[in-house]
Amino acid sequence: MKIALTGNPNSGKTTLFNSITGKIEHVGNWPGVTVEKKEGPVKSSLLPKGQSVTVVDLPGAYSMSPYTSEESITRDFVMDESPDVIVNIVDATNISRSLFFTTQLLELGIPVVVALNKSDLNSKKGTIIDSALLSEVLNCPVVDTIATDSRNSGLGDLAEAAVSLKLKKAKQPAPAFSKGIDPNNKEEAEELDKKRYDFVSSVVKRVERRTVSSSSQTGQDKLDRIVAHKWLGLPIFAAVIWVVFSISQSWVGPWLADILVGWIDGFYGLVEGVIGEGTNPVISSLLLDGIIGGVGAVVGFLPLIMVLFFMLALLEDSGYMARVALLMDRYFKKIGLSGKSIIPMIVGTGCAIPGIMATRTIKSERQRRTTAMLTPFMPCGAKLPIIALFAGVFFNDNAWVGTSMYFLAIALIIVSGLVIKMITGDNSVSYFIMELPEYRFPSFKRAAISMMSRAKAFIIKAGTIILVCNALVQLLQTFTWTGQVVPEGNPGASILAAIASPLAWIFIPLGFGIWQFAAAAITGFIAKENVVGTLAVTFSVTNFIDVEELALVADGSQVLSVFGIGSVAALSYLIFNLFTPPCFAAIGSMNSEMESRKWLWGAIGFQLGTGYVMAFLVYQLGTLFTQGTLGSGFVGGLIASALFVGVIVLQISKTRKYDVQRNLKAA
Amino acid sequence: MSVMDMVVVGVILLVISLAVWKIVRDKKRGVKCSGCPDSGKCDCH
Amino acid sequence: MTLNEGSIDQIYRVGDVKTDDPGMKEFLFSLGCYPGERICIISRLSSALVVNIKDARYSLDSDLASAIILSDGAAESLVV
Repeated sequence: MKIALTGNPNSGKTTLFNSITGKIEHVGNWPGVTVEKKEGPVKSSLLPKGQSVTVVDLPGAYSMSPYTSEESITRDFVMDESPDVIVNIVDATNISRSLFFTTQLLELGIPVVVALNKSDLNSKKGTIIDSALLSEVLNCPVVDTIATDSRNSGLGDLAEAAVSLKLKKAKQPAPAFSKGIDPNNKEEAEELDKKRYDFVSSVVKRVERRTVSSSSQTGQDKLDRIVAHKWLGLPIFAAVIWVVFSISQSWVGPWLADILVGWIDGFYGLVEGVIGEGTNPVISSLLLDGIIGGVGAVVGFLPLIMVLFFMLALLEDSGYMARVALLMDRYFKKIGLSGKSIIPMIVGTGCAIPGIMATRTIKSERQRRTTAMLTPFMPCGAKLPIIALFAGVFFNDNAWVGTSMYFLAIALIIVSGLVIKMITGDNSVSYFIMELPEYRFPSFKRAAISMMSRAKAFIIKAGTIILVCNALVQLLQTFTWTGQVVPEGNPGASILAAIASPLAWIFIPLGFGIWQFAAAAITGFIAKENVVGTLAVTFSVTNFIDVEELALVADGSQVLSVFGIGSVAALSYLIFNLFTPPCFAAIGSMNSEMESRKWLWGAIGFQLGTGYVMAFLVYQLGTLFTQGTLGSGFVGGLIASALFVGVIVLQISKTRKYDVQRNLKAA
Repeated sequence: MSVMDMVVVGVILLVISLAVWKIVRDKKRGVKCSGCPDSGKCDCH
Repeated sequence: MTLNEGSIDQIYRVGDVKTDDPGMKEFLFSLGCYPGERICIISRLSSALVVNIKDARYSLDSDLASAIILSDGAAESLVV
C-alpha cells in the first residue's frame, strides 16, 4: 500500500519521512525545503508483521489550490495517483491554519490520518490539544507525533493507524458543512472556503486551550529584532559566516585533515612498497600519482568539507536562515528579485543542483530563471577544496578567504541580478511573504547525520568521476601525440599540454597563462573538485596537506614555487574557478529549470564573462597595487573584457529602445 | 612486461571499470551527478 | 488604512486585499488572511513587517502590507 505525506510547509514532513524510512533527505527549519516528491519503504519495525508500505513525501502546501509549482506536485499527486492513505501532518502549534488543508483532504474520499506533529513544542508553551475530541470531530484518527524525537515519536502508532484505516472498509465521512455548494462556481467556492475556515475555528475552539495568545510578543520576536535589524542584520550574518568558515577552514578542519592525510600518505607508501622498483614507471605512476595521488589530494579536504556542512546544517536547523531571507529581501528587491531567491542560494552552498531545483518555489518566471542563473555563483561543496587549497598555499589558511568568497558571491549576485533586470527590461516586482519558523536549538545528531550523508556523497564522487578524470589526465600528460612517453624534463610535449596550451593564452591577462592551470580549469567543468586533482597530478604534488607541520598545505612556499604564480594571480585563479559556469551536472539542472535555450546559453555566456572579467580585474589591479605596474597581457584582456561589457550594454540599450517604442505606441 | 606490471595494470583497470560502472548505473537510475548531495535522486519508478 | 500604516502590538481586522496578483489573494486566504480575520503586527524589521495571522508568524514586505486593507474601527489594543 502507498501512503502520501501531506501538510503545510515546515510542518515536519521530511523529518517524519526520514524517521519512518531511515532515509536521509535534506531537511531545514524553513518552509519550502522539499520541492520534489520522494518515495521510500516504511521501516518494517514500525509495521505490523507481513505488511509492506511505501511512503511518499510531498512538498508542503497550504491548500489544494496551488500557488507555486511545487505545491501543484502535492495536489496532482493526491488527486491523480490516489494513494491508499493520506497522512496529513499538522503542525500542532498552529492547528487553526493547518486544519483548513485537512478539511480539504478529508473531502477527497481517501482515508486520512492526522499526525499532530511538534506536540512537544505545545507542552512547552502550555497549549493543550484534546486529540481524542479532535479525532471525533474530524471523523479520522489523530496521532500525536514528535518526528524529531526518535524514541518517543509516536511513529509506530501512526503507521498502525494508517494500516488499520486501509483495512477498514467503511468510508470516512467528511465533515458536513459543504452540502449543497457547487465548488465549480467561483463565488460559491469562496463562500465554501469561508465556511471551511468557520468550521475550523469552531473545531479549534473546542479542542485547543492556550495559556499564551500567539499574538503576544515573545523572546523569539526580540531575537528577530536583533538578527534582522536594518543595520545590524548584515554584520551579524557576516560574523556568523566567518565563524563557520574559520572553524571549518582554520581550526577543526585542518586538524582532522592532517590525520586523514597521514592515512592517505601511509596508503600511498604501502602501495609503492608492494609495487616495488621493478615495474614500468609509466604504469606505476598511473596508479600512484594519477589515481591514488589525484584522488587523495581531493579526499584530503574531506574533513574541512564535513565540518563546514555540519556547521551549515546547524544553521539551517536553527531557523536563522529564514531571517536571512527576510534581511536580504530589501537588497534583492532592488535587483528585481525577492527574499525568496535567497533560499535557493543557501541550499546552493551545499551543492548547486538542489539549489537550482529550489527555484521552483519562485512564482515569477523571470525571477525563477534569474535565480537559477545566479545560484551557481555560491561556493558549493565542490568548490571548497579549491578555496581551501589556495587559502592554504597563498594566504596562510586564513578564514577570510572563504568568508570573502562567500560575500563576494553575494555581491556578484546582486550586481548580476541588476544587469539581468536591465537586459530583460522587466521592472515588475513581486510580493514577498514567508512564514517565519520558530527558532530552536539545533540538533547535533541531525547535523551529524546530514554531514555523514554529504561525506559519503563526496567520497563516492571522488571514487568515480574524480578518479576517472585523474587517470585520464595522468595518461594524457604521460604520452605525446605519437604515442611516445613524454621525455623527462619536457612536460610541454604531452597531449594534455598540447590541448591546454592554446587556452593558456587566453588566461595570460588573468595571470595564470600556464597550461597546467588551463587544464585544471577545463576538468573543473566536469566536477569542480577536479581543479585540485588535476593540479595535483600535473604538478606532481601528491600531498597538499602536511602531516608534520599541521599546516593545511605542505610547506606552502615549496608548493608555491612549483605553481610558479604569485598570490595575486592565485586569487585571480580562485575567482575564475568560482565564478565561471558550474559543473555540467549543474548546467543540466539549469536547463531543466529555465526551460529556455536562450536563457541557458545566455546564462553560460554571462557566467563565463563574469568569471573572466572578475579574474582580470583582480589580477591587473592587484598587480598594479602590489608592484606598481600592470600585469602581463593587459591590452588583450582589456579588449576581451570590453567586448563582454559591450555585448551587455548593447543588450540593455536594445531593451531600452524597445521600451521607448512601446511607450510611444501606448501613448 | 613483468608479472608485477600485469598485476598493476589489472588493478588500474579494475578500479576504473568499477568507477565507470557506478557512474553508468547512477545515470540509468536518474541521478544527474554521481555523488552530488541530494541531486535529484528519485526512486519513484 | 492599510496594514503598512498600522502600529505594532495592535490587533486589526482584515477589510480587503487589493492586489493585481489574483493568486496572491487566494494564497493569503489559505493562510487565513481574509476579510474579517484578525491580524496583529508584531514588529517592523529592515523593510519587512512581521505579522501574526491565526497562530503563525509571517514576514511580508511593505508592498504587500500596503495591499492589505484594514477595516475601520475594529482595532483592539493588545493586553499583554
